[in-house]
Amino acid sequence: MLVLGAERLRIDMNRLLALLFHQGVLDEQFLQLQQLQDDSSPNFVSEVVNIYFHESEKLLTNLRALLLNREFSDYKKMGIHLNQFMGSSSSIGAKRIRNVCVAFRAASEQNNRAGCLRALEMLEHEYCYLKNKLHELFQIEQQRLLAAGVRYPMQN
Amino acid sequence: MASAYKEAVPVPEDFPVGLKVLVVDDDIPCLRIIEQMLRKCMYTVTTCSQATVALNILRERKGFFDLVLSDVHMPDMDGFKLLELVGLEMDLPVIMMSGDDRTSLVMRGIKHGACDYLIKPIRTEELKNIWQHVARKRCYVGKEHEHSGSLEYNDRLKHGIDESEYASSVNEGADVTSKTLKKRKDTKEEDDADIENDDPTTSKKPRVVWSVELHQQFVSAVNHLGIDKAVPKRILELMNVPGLTRENVASHLQKFRLYLKRLSGVAQQQGGLPSSFCGPLEPNPNVGSLGRFDIQALAASGQIPPQTLAALHAELLARPTGNLVLPAMDQPALLQASLPVSKCITLDQNVAYGQPLMKCPSNISKHFSQTVSSADNAHSGFGSWSSENLVNVVTCDNVTGMGAQNGNAMMSMMHRQQQQQRQQQEHLQKKSKLPEPSRSINVQPSCLVVPSHSSANFRAGNSLAPVNQNCNLSGSSIKDYNILSPQSNISPLATGRTPDIKIKSTGMLSGLSGTGSISATFSSGSVIADNGVGSQLQNSASRFVPDRQLTDIVPNISIMQDSYNATSGQMLDLETLKCTAFIGRETSIPSRFAVDETGLPIGNVNREKIRGENNGNKVKLEPNMNFVESAKAGVPMLRRLSPTDLMSVFLD
Repeated sequence: MLVLGAERLRIDMNRLLALLFHQGVLDEQFLQLQQLQDDSSPNFVSEVVNIYFHESEKLLTNLRALLLNREFSDYKKMGIHLNQFMGSSSSIGAKRIRNVCVAFRAASEQNNRAGCLRALEMLEHEYCYLKNKLHELFQIEQQRLLAAGVRYPMQN
Repeated sequence: MASAYKEAVPVPEDFPVGLKVLVVDDDIPCLRIIEQMLRKCMYTVTTCSQATVALNILRERKGFFDLVLSDVHMPDMDGFKLLELVGLEMDLPVIMMSGDDRTSLVMRGIKHGACDYLIKPIRTEELKNIWQHVARKRCYVGKEHEHSGSLEYNDRLKHGIDESEYASSVNEGADVTSKTLKKRKDTKEEDDADIENDDPTTSKKPRVVWSVELHQQFVSAVNHLGIDKAVPKRILELMNVPGLTRENVASHLQKFRLYLKRLSGVAQQQGGLPSSFCGPLEPNPNVGSLGRFDIQALAASGQIPPQTLAALHAELLARPTGNLVLPAMDQPALLQASLPVSKCITLDQNVAYGQPLMKCPSNISKHFSQTVSSADNAHSGFGSWSSENLVNVVTCDNVTGMGAQNGNAMMSMMHRQQQQQRQQQEHLQKKSKLPEPSRSINVQPSCLVVPSHSSANFRAGNSLAPVNQNCNLSGSSIKDYNILSPQSNISPLATGRTPDIKIKSTGMLSGLSGTGSISATFSSGSVIADNGVGSQLQNSASRFVPDRQLTDIVPNISIMQDSYNATSGQMLDLETLKCTAFIGRETSIPSRFAVDETGLPIGNVNREKIRGENNGNKVKLEPNMNFVESAKAGVPMLRRLSPTDLMSVFLD
């Protein structure tokens, strides 16, 4: 049954991934990440994604702070943050976040404050969604590894 | 590209493996991903999240890394800046990467010399292939060695110009015939084509071939900005040459500065440069025959030994397109006078003196701050023109030597063949470039020669001396022109006669500062030109009555024709004008023209101001052909001309 459990977890994982792909939350870059994970860095994906979340949160905080400064919104600085956000998001395959970033940047280039605020909310929403989903994914992964790990001694 | 391969450095069998790559990105997750990807590709990876740190690493471990991957947006230093520095200092292939895929940004990367530009997200497949940039570089280096020196100023200068077909970039075009230029260009294009054909998309920064045209553009940009203020970025903007990168420009600028520095240093040491510089130019009057005019400006730091006086050999009409070769001595920098290609004067005699030659590409304006030390040159009598303004020197048939003494400005116009001159004038008016053969004008070094200046309507030379655009010469002023016979280094010395010539020009020379009358001393310096023609100056006091000729004057142009004609009866063969004259756009160029029997090409001098300093004398020509007296004369020769004044003297 443990084997079956691990297998089921793997199916769950794939289903979740498929959903995220289908929704456009992730793209194939995420698969690249998974391919990079090997014995020398078994937790590569989660490691990178965690770094990403960590960095993203800082960026989101900064962006919000910039936008909330009513007198003077530093759109240029905003653009810099957004470029970085775009870069890292696309690097992990967070497609929707990246798309929102593009819209955000466009708004910031036009000094469109309302547009920026809207984009920021979308960004935060997307961010949370992605974070939750990936978190879920990693949890399943952990369980699967656990299940698979339990299996080994039994097989041996 | 096959040829490149045969010179390729032997590649280890496991070549891409272990390639040392430095990754710079402030985006930590991205940095981590790329690191992992590179590891997968068997590269040796060093990561760094700050550009400044990366730069330090690169500097400390020079030669260690094979390749640099850099993000574009970094808080501490722009990726392009890093790219530029790396390119300049270590000549490493740099790959830019960014999540920003806007074309303008990618283009910027290319212009700055990035060998590739990766858009995030970066995929492993892309990184697998980056070793090719290293390989290409290595192949390339091998190839470049083959063409050693083609880009190196110094090397080139060391080699002299013996290979005339490769004019040094400094002298580019000076002594190169259009034919060889073309030839050279063709070969370059082939080279480039090779490279491009090889792999257009991923090709490394293409080697920039600093062709004459390109260099001219570069110099004009530098001049426009001022040598001290010129920065690669601005130069690049001014040049506006597609494909040229800031890095290219920066590198070129560096070399250019080095060159200037070196030139001035050499000039200090020795008035003359090793003949190797001048070699090709030497005695051939024929150099210009190819239709090219060479302008050589010498930047000397201040002092020019009389022996180093260079005579400019101007060939006129017969060679409509020429470059003026002006030996200009300039302390800080050598500036090049821009000459329209079509209008040029070639200097031949300079070679004999072994002065460093600067080529002045056309349309280049430079600022010369020239200081000619009067002490050394006192007897030699330099006339130097420093024009702060753009001067397009077009050598017209007309050459005016200007010397100012004691508040008296002397202007000497030398001309032969009156009729021809008239014809030329007509041509000039038409702005047609009709070369009239066989005019030789020699100006002695003490004289300033002003090539005709179309905009200013000032024409020196055979017959035309438009001084002001308005053609205002103070009327009824008596001018004594003294031509100083400089003890020129030219073998035949001119016998210095100081005939006094009185010229009445009514309505002309009106604007002369202070003095309506100018006494100039003509020294009849007969100088034997290379041609072996002994020139005789007939010192005859001649009076010019411009009034008669005013009718002939084209509006905005004051022509001294009449005076010329008047004197025409007196044939003076001034065959050698030696002048230290600066002609340049917006520049003061101390230079000497030696004009040999050749007719001066008609040229337009677009100069707004010309300053000539003779032995510490300054003569300023404003576009209006105005002379400003700005000179201090410890030397008797000093004179200032008020900018509004124009002085033109014909020597007959």
